Amino acid sequence: MELKIEGVSKTYPNGVHALKNVSLTIPAGMYGLLGPNGAGKSTLMRILATLQEADTGSIRLGNIDVLAQKDDVRRTLGYLPQEFGVYPKVSAEDLLEHFALLKGIASRSARREVVEALLRQTNLWEVRKQKLGGYSGGMRQRFGVAVALLGNPTLMIVDEPTAGLDPAERVRFLNLLSELGEHSVVLLSTHIVEDVSELCTRMAIIDRGEILLEAEPLRAVHDLRGRVWRRVVSKAELPAVEREHAVISTKLLAGRTLVRVHADASPGPGFEPAEADLEDVYFSAMAGRIGRRRDQQEPALAS
Amino acid sequence: MKFREVFRFELAYQLRRPWTWMFFAVLLVLSFMLTRDGTLAEALYEEFFVNSPFAVAKTTVVGGLIWLLVAAVVTGEAAARDVGTGMHPLVWTTPISRTEYLGGRFVAALVLNALLMLAVQAGIVIGVYLPGIDAEVMGPFRPAAHLTAYAYLALPTVFVATSIQFAFALRSGRAMSGYLGSMLLLFMGFFVASLLLFSLRSLGMLLDPIGIRFVVDDMSHLWTTTEKSVRLMELEGLILGNRLLWLGVGVVTLAMTWLSFRFEHRTERAAWRWWARRREAHAPVPSGIGGAVSTPTIVPQAARTFGFPLHARQTLAIAWDSFRSSAMSWAGLALLLGLPLLAIPVVIDQMVGGAAPLVPTTMQVLEELTAPVTSELSRWIIIPLLSIFFTGELVWREREAGLGEITDAMPGSDWASFIGKLLGIAMLLVAFLAAQMMAGMLAQTILGYSEFQVALYLKVLFGFQLPEYLLFAVLALAVHVMVDQKYVAHLVAIIAYVVIILAPMFGIGHNLLIYGAGPPWSWTAMSGFGPNVGPWVWFKLYWAVWALLLALVAMLLRVRGREGGTGVRLLLARRRLAGATAWTAAVAVGLIIAFGGFIFYNTNVLNTYRTDAERTRLQAEYEQRYKRYGDVPQPRVQGTQLNIEIHPRRRAAHIRGTHSLVNDSDVAIDTIHVATAPGMTPGMLTFGQRAAALILADDERGHRIYDLATPLQPGDSLRLDFEVSIQPRGFRNGGVDASVVANGSYFTNSSFPAIGYQQGRELIVAGARREHGLPERPVLASLYDAKAPLVRAGRVTVGAIVATDDDQVAVAPGRLRRTWTEGGRRYFDYSADADVGMEHGFFSANYAVRESQWKDVAIQVFHHPAHTANLERMLRAVHASLEYYTAHYGPYRHGYLSVVERAGNGTGMHADAAMITHSSGFALWSPREGPGNLDMPSAIVAHEMGHQWNVPPAYVEGLPVMSESLAWFAAMQVLRASYGPAQLRHLLTFMRQPHPYPPIRRGEPLLRGQDPYMSYRRGPFALHALTEYMGVEKINTALRRLIEKHGSGEPPLATTLDLYRELDTVAPDSLKYLLHDLWEVNTFWKFEASEVSARQTGEGSWQVTLRVNARKVASDSAGVETELPMDEWVPIGVFARGEPGDELSAPIHLQMHRIRSGEQTITVTVSREPDLAGIDPHHILDWDEGEDDDNIEAVKIVR
Repeated sequence: MELKIEGVSKTYPNGVHALKNVSLTIPAGMYGLLGPNGAGKSTLMRILATLQEADTGSIRLGNIDVLAQKDDVRRTLGYLPQEFGVYPKVSAEDLLEHFALLKGIASRSARREVVEALLRQTNLWEVRKQKLGGYSGGMRQRFGVAVALLGNPTLMIVDEPTAGLDPAERVRFLNLLSELGEHSVVLLSTHIVEDVSELCTRMAIIDRGEILLEAEPLRAVHDLRGRVWRRVVSKAELPAVEREHAVISTKLLAGRTLVRVHADASPGPGFEPAEADLEDVYFSAMAGRIGRRRDQQEPALAS
Repeated sequence: MKFREVFRFELAYQLRRPWTWMFFAVLLVLSFMLTRDGTLAEALYEEFFVNSPFAVAKTTVVGGLIWLLVAAVVTGEAAARDVGTGMHPLVWTTPISRTEYLGGRFVAALVLNALLMLAVQAGIVIGVYLPGIDAEVMGPFRPAAHLTAYAYLALPTVFVATSIQFAFALRSGRAMSGYLGSMLLLFMGFFVASLLLFSLRSLGMLLDPIGIRFVVDDMSHLWTTTEKSVRLMELEGLILGNRLLWLGVGVVTLAMTWLSFRFEHRTERAAWRWWARRREAHAPVPSGIGGAVSTPTIVPQAARTFGFPLHARQTLAIAWDSFRSSAMSWAGLALLLGLPLLAIPVVIDQMVGGAAPLVPTTMQVLEELTAPVTSELSRWIIIPLLSIFFTGELVWREREAGLGEITDAMPGSDWASFIGKLLGIAMLLVAFLAAQMMAGMLAQTILGYSEFQVALYLKVLFGFQLPEYLLFAVLALAVHVMVDQKYVAHLVAIIAYVVIILAPMFGIGHNLLIYGAGPPWSWTAMSGFGPNVGPWVWFKLYWAVWALLLALVAMLLRVRGREGGTGVRLLLARRRLAGATAWTAAVAVGLIIAFGGFIFYNTNVLNTYRTDAERTRLQAEYEQRYKRYGDVPQPRVQGTQLNIEIHPRRRAAHIRGTHSLVNDSDVAIDTIHVATAPGMTPGMLTFGQRAAALILADDERGHRIYDLATPLQPGDSLRLDFEVSIQPRGFRNGGVDASVVANGSYFTNSSFPAIGYQQGRELIVAGARREHGLPERPVLASLYDAKAPLVRAGRVTVGAIVATDDDQVAVAPGRLRRTWTEGGRRYFDYSADADVGMEHGFFSANYAVRESQWKDVAIQVFHHPAHTANLERMLRAVHASLEYYTAHYGPYRHGYLSVVERAGNGTGMHADAAMITHSSGFALWSPREGPGNLDMPSAIVAHEMGHQWNVPPAYVEGLPVMSESLAWFAAMQVLRASYGPAQLRHLLTFMRQPHPYPPIRRGEPLLRGQDPYMSYRRGPFALHALTEYMGVEKINTALRRLIEKHGSGEPPLATTLDLYRELDTVAPDSLKYLLHDLWEVNTFWKFEASEVSARQTGEGSWQVTLRVNARKVASDSAGVETELPMDEWVPIGVFARGEPGDELSAPIHLQMHRIRSGEQTITVTVSREPDLAGIDPHHILDWDEGEDDDNIEAVKIVR
């Protein structure tokens, strides 16, 4: 099972170019889609979840044409949108069972079993009789996960799922996902770098509708090893440093600024080598130090 | 300052919303159309300025009604947008007081709504001044007309509606709840106010928040034509009370809203669950949450099915969910519990006809519980409106809960959701109708009736009513899905509904063009469902396929996911239109063509279909072309011989007849004008053996001209042979002609040819006459028109041999000579031994016949075998009437009398010569026994018998007085003589109620009376007053003389002037003034007693002192009232304690006293202890009895 996205573009009626010729190949396993707010992550997710049309391009899930055979996709799909609500006056058990039926689990006993297993898995079993209106944000999110997990999806799309979760719930949830990733395509969009670094075997960085980098997180970090340098500078020095060096990120640290720069060799005095991490990969890609954005810039510089 | 900002922001925000402007446009256009069509077509014979204060007020009320239905969301948004969008935590934490917040929002909504209502006034003005309106009906522009309508009607309604909508929306946090507020008000206007209309009229008027009752109903009835043109509405009396009451309701609602509102986090518990067990204040936290995952739970691999079984299950799951969520909402509770509970008192209240209770048979109850969706202003108008609301809630259910993306990404077709939701609505409607059925049975039980016809309930409610509701629900659902914007969809659905119910007003009459329409069904005890079920089913099938197509289109255009743009939706629709969907669409289109074609073949090919406009045009052309022959001497129909073959099972009848004509003019006649039934090709038409050339055959307008080869000399006679077939071919737009049915056939001679120009076919409505260039024509000729009475009364002899199936009895005018069976058919030979009127009916049914004899009069009652409850009562009244009338008014002209029952649920009776007919409803009267109760059916029989002594009246003003007033006066004498004076008092008390004929205080005097109040009320009251002053005998003498002089029907025919002359002859000089006051002018007396006290002056002697006030007022036809000085005899009465239920049964003093205008004191001495005393205690002159009789007061005993 493999999800193959080729040349997908999407422009909104208000002129926003949400996706520009996006091509990705997503194998089974956890795949992270990393990008800032408004990068086009959700648009891509919704197109994959059959909720939106692409202007151009093709998407295939195994041998299913995602854009045309919507109902076939929906049968194998688990979707957890970025924002969703619930019927406040219905209990979790009732609503989950309702969804189980909608997902095609016809037998009543099988439905019961699945619902119980999912509620236990998402740690909602003890509160299953309560009305969803009384649930906290995290519980609601877990309920959404349970809905998405119904019917053992082979394509799981989760859009910024960890935003509302406390650390413990987040861990639990990510574990659930990676379990699922053993057999299915799990596409996880997030703007939190740790989510990807901890779990995903592959990832893509997207910004302004374009894929900047497609890589395996470990490998990308490895590639950056030895090229990240750090230095603590004062506020006054910062503009000069930014001018002279390829700055990846700056962080305020007790009134001083910690600058990380990208350089093949030591950029100069005061800089010390730093351990590269995924955040450096992300910021480097965003800043055009690595990845597609650099590839596009270089010919321009050369000419 | 903050208030101003809240107000400004809200106003600006809503003014930029498209729907605000759509509401404005809709109100503008609808009031334009109402002005153009509605106000013009308003009253049949009336004509008033389209821009008169009355017309403006009416349109304002209707416009307000539409505003209430479409625009509730303006208030809803103002009240609930913050919660609906989730903005409230941001807004509510700003330093703003709730007065500023709520006040700003409310005032903004109020201002917006007030501005929206200006669209109605603008629509009226445009409607009046844009070209295309008949200049005759345009009055001067009067700003006051618009100002009063806007200020008195529109603004208070807007205020109370806005405050209630605001309260509902704020409480629920949902803008749509504003509509529930609207529906509550609508419900008050249509349901509650109408419920109280009969018993507590003024309370009913007070409780109507919109003005349906006090403007559309009351002013329409009470204002004269002149007043409708010129009179300004005043803010006084009940109208003032009503407006103040509802302003008060608005203020109280606002105060309660303000008091109960808090800037605080909204919790999810529903208000009606206050009893629910208290839970932990904190959100539930499951145990066992930890960093690491313990052993993961294994989710079993459940087998999944797709395809049809899944769709079916999904559909059912969605249906159940939809039903549950709708039924458990406030609106659902109102529908399933509130309405049926309220229906019980409505049904009980309606099981009364006139003054007596009716047997609450299942059909009587069902008539109160059902109404076609297409019928306007029925109390069940609320059901389609609620359907619109519920479908909107369901269509938006997932998306509003935020679950839209999750459910949209679930597998399964779009049909599951659509059909599931439709089924949910269907279940809701089924539950509602089941509850209605329970309500009906409960009402029957409360009334002590237990013969429930469960099968009839089921057939009518679920067979006929449910499809009506369902068809509309599909439309509402499809509109919501297609429009995909909740408020706009709501607006579109309401407009669709308004167009459906007002289609005839816009000139659309064919049921193939009005969504969901069809011929009406009916059920009667005699005929069952009758022949209209078939056509009804065809039309509903046709519309059901349309509904399917509509659903299909909605499905194709359904937004699933995020793509709401028109282009994308069309693209997706094209993509979805494949496979089964495409086939279904093709089949639906095919079936629409097939059913539509079949229906069209029936209504327009087998039968002739004419629009109202075409019919009016033909009527006008008839007059234009043939009125010139109106004065040409023509032979007169002397008698008619008929051979009628009725075939009930084939629903056919064949009539062969011969008119014998005689030339009683003094010139030879060579041209004969035959009036045939318009639009019908007559069968054979010949003049016996005489040669006659047909020189014109205009069967469309119903006129033929024959030229006789040899002229018909004066005094000579001629026969006209004709044939008429009654044989429905297929069905018409209105259904099947039900004159011949399996049981309960009834038809008249209206389809037989007549002689000469028929004045009765002329157009009456002044506007229509002008439109077709016809001269003005009064409804009736002037009383002082000397020529009009100079015609001979239309009377003929009739003989008929009627054959029918051998299990039925046929009835025709006349006495049954003999009856025989031949060839499996029964023959009845009837012939009338004296002349009968020009209208006669023929009947065939499975009748039981009850025979009776009064002296030499043979009485036959033809009735449905089961309807025996009132036979004895009826016969007793017939005997009593014959007894009294022959003794006082002269001999009965016929040796026989037939009373015939017709299929139908009405309670009324109709009198022809020697024949009284009534609908089956008459058998359902069941007057309470015992003193204090009016025997209404007997009174009606006596009244119809009274018609047998009517003189043939001239066709001039006062004609209905000559027939109805005299027949009622006669009936009153029968009651007094045979049933006791108490019955007469009860009848008069009933007649003095404002229902069904509210007193009209202005208008023509009684001599020229035309309207029902004059003929059914003022006439009898005037004659009764005269009997109290002159004695019954004198009046009877006058009436007997009138009959002696004018009963023959020879010209000149009698008018009210002749009646007046006879009354004048018997009246002493001292009472001429009274005769004048009652008949020649419109006089009203107003008496009031106050401070009534008594003192015992000795053993068996009390002195009673009354303070009385007297007024006498005359109003002319324009409504101008003149105070008249008064110095005349008026009865003063003192009463001892009477029987319970009849307080005035023990008079101890009842005498005429000389009474002047104004206050005065009267003292009388009586011999027993007085209980009540008053002036004109029996309302001989002061006919306003009212709810609290102010003529009589309780006597205060002074020690």
